[in-house]
Amino acid sequence: MNKALAIAKWEFMEKIKSKAIIISFFLTPLIILGFSILPSVFAEKDEATTQAIGVIDETQNYFTSLSDKLSEFKLEDKQPRYVIINLFKQNESVDSLKAEANKNVVMKKIEGYIFLSGNSKKAITFEYRSLSVANFNDYQRFEESFNKIRRMQEFQKANIDTALVSHLINNVEMKKVKLDEKGNESSTDFMKQYFSSFIFIMILFMVIMISGGMLVRSLVEEKSNRLIEIIVSSCKPDDILKGKIMGLSGLTMAQIVVWVLIGVAFAGQGLVMFASFQNLFLLFVYFILGFVLYTAIFVGVGSIVTTEQEAQQITSYLSMITISPIVIMIPAMQNPDSLLIRVLSYIPLTTPGVMILRLNSAPISTLEIAATLAELVLSIYLVIKISSKIFRIGILSYGKMPGLKEIFVWLREKE
Amino acid sequence: MLTVKNLRKEYTNTVAIDNISFSLQPGKIFGLIGPNGAGKTTTIRVILNIIKPTSGEVLFDGKPMDRSIQNVTGYLPEERGLYKKSTVHDVIVYLASLKNVSAHKATRLATEWLTKLDILDSKNKKIEELSKGNQQKIQFITSVIHDPKILILDEPFTGFDPINQQLIKETILSLADAGKIIVLSTHQMDLAEKLCNDIFLINKGKEVCSGNLSEIKRQYGTQSIKIEYQGNAAFLNESSDVAHIDMYQNYAEIQLKDSINPSLFLRSLVDKIEIKHFSIIEPTLNKIFIDAIKN
Repeated sequence: MNKALAIAKWEFMEKIKSKAIIISFFLTPLIILGFSILPSVFAEKDEATTQAIGVIDETQNYFTSLSDKLSEFKLEDKQPRYVIINLFKQNESVDSLKAEANKNVVMKKIEGYIFLSGNSKKAITFEYRSLSVANFNDYQRFEESFNKIRRMQEFQKANIDTALVSHLINNVEMKKVKLDEKGNESSTDFMKQYFSSFIFIMILFMVIMISGGMLVRSLVEEKSNRLIEIIVSSCKPDDILKGKIMGLSGLTMAQIVVWVLIGVAFAGQGLVMFASFQNLFLLFVYFILGFVLYTAIFVGVGSIVTTEQEAQQITSYLSMITISPIVIMIPAMQNPDSLLIRVLSYIPLTTPGVMILRLNSAPISTLEIAATLAELVLSIYLVIKISSKIFRIGILSYGKMPGLKEIFVWLREKE
Repeated sequence: MLTVKNLRKEYTNTVAIDNISFSLQPGKIFGLIGPNGAGKTTTIRVILNIIKPTSGEVLFDGKPMDRSIQNVTGYLPEERGLYKKSTVHDVIVYLASLKNVSAHKATRLATEWLTKLDILDSKNKKIEELSKGNQQKIQFITSVIHDPKILILDEPFTGFDPINQQLIKETILSLADAGKIIVLSTHQMDLAEKLCNDIFLINKGKEVCSGNLSEIKRQYGTQSIKIEYQGNAAFLNESSDVAHIDMYQNYAEIQLKDSINPSLFLRSLVDKIEIKHFSIIEPTLNKIFIDAIKN
């Protein structure tokens, strides 16, 4: 055990002094922040300039109201967001009007145009035609404005009280209230929940990727310069395994402490997200067990690779599995009790990620928590057993990477 | 005393070492000699308990080599390398700590050894800043700093210039004088010949010959003599005592037939030519090595 501690201390001290770790200490929070916040920032950011929007209103019913309504939208600098141009001409066919408008769109004289046709009583065609069809915010405004105007007009025709109508045509927004297992209201909304889970899984992913990569690289280095032989001739392989896992866990803890400090220093915002977890303690348990499970896998796998390239490949494959729960994140949060999610909760490699998601979206029965934790602990035990067997032989085999068949032979070998 | 008994190591398709036995005395240098792939490294690994033998055992003072012996063994592997980004001092202290030497003691010993090998000024440098020869010195230090009872050196001289070779050679000899059991694994026959008391020649996992070096030389003596002379020695070409002769102006190397006694042969020469020098040629280790492996 003394020697395991000596190895742990060495791994910790040497890594913490290296440039790579300093970069990861400070770069990782930036990357996580970037991944989680930037997409939403970009998505919400609108065109900052006034756009010319044409309207061909074949029905001749809506142009004035629509133009007034859309002119109400302002940019940040109080300039109108849209300039509405009437493209309808009495004595020209709709087809030629459209052809002309299309030309203007292509020549970028206008951003796009709205085309309205049909009988007001029957079906109405409402189209927006432009080069790009990706600006959701514009569509929403056009659609909502048009629908309000249309409803207003129809209600007025039917002689319904204007005050009542103007009150009714506004949508009522639904507020989502989440209850915890005691039945108390909690203030989480979906986006907050989404991002906090996302950040947690990203941190798990980054931590595993960084430290797993370091572990494998240090093993490859020790193998290629044969230091491993000196180490193996000085202590038990199990001590080496333990020492490396301990050193690395220490490093990871240090890293997380630094990140939390950075979080405290820079963003109260970030802390709100953490505060939205009711099960912070359980989350950390899953997090740490997940970390240990993956590290144990990395030790076993890392001991058989012989070159830097193989090391990199294997590191990235394994890390992909950690991050895989992100793919099912939205369905998992929308329907935390679905069969798929339940099944994934019991597959050791996805347990930590999926449970982090589930903990944050709906109450989970104590039985299920106990079962998944037990399953994780059991698989960590098994993985360490298998890994240390592979490790014992793997670290001394050079040259070609062993095949699966060979590894099975190793596993059957007695100590 | 270190005893290796009937050691055998099999891998899936090959037998790396096949039933080898030898014993090593304190204070003597034991040469483990053989071509590439002969099984030297496997033998060393089994002795050091890095791998388990398929059968056979290694005993140290009558007890099986187990983990408790690990702190008294020192090992210099053939392929060298150290943590490049770390300092000389840190690396030495770390590797000493794996042999249960406290950091405090290791620091003191490191200074002593660095002084002895004339590289004290590198103490706080990173390994990668050192020349290859100096890196090798550091590695040598890490194998001896904990004062091991058993020291295994795999090709300790490669990569050193002649001056440093001399320095390392003297250091190894002084360690032998201090009563260490030293295993020297090498292809460099001339050095093995000068340093080793006992040798073990191994090829394809099997013992070729072993024992005291001078006895082996006697055993492999080839009935060869060397003479310097004046006069006409042409008669030697027809002599029935001679198996083979290389004759030069005033010098000849003669291989005698097995039944011929070199002293009697000399007596038969002195009447015919004037002998200036006569000696029996001892086989070099190199020749023994090549002959033994060819046979």
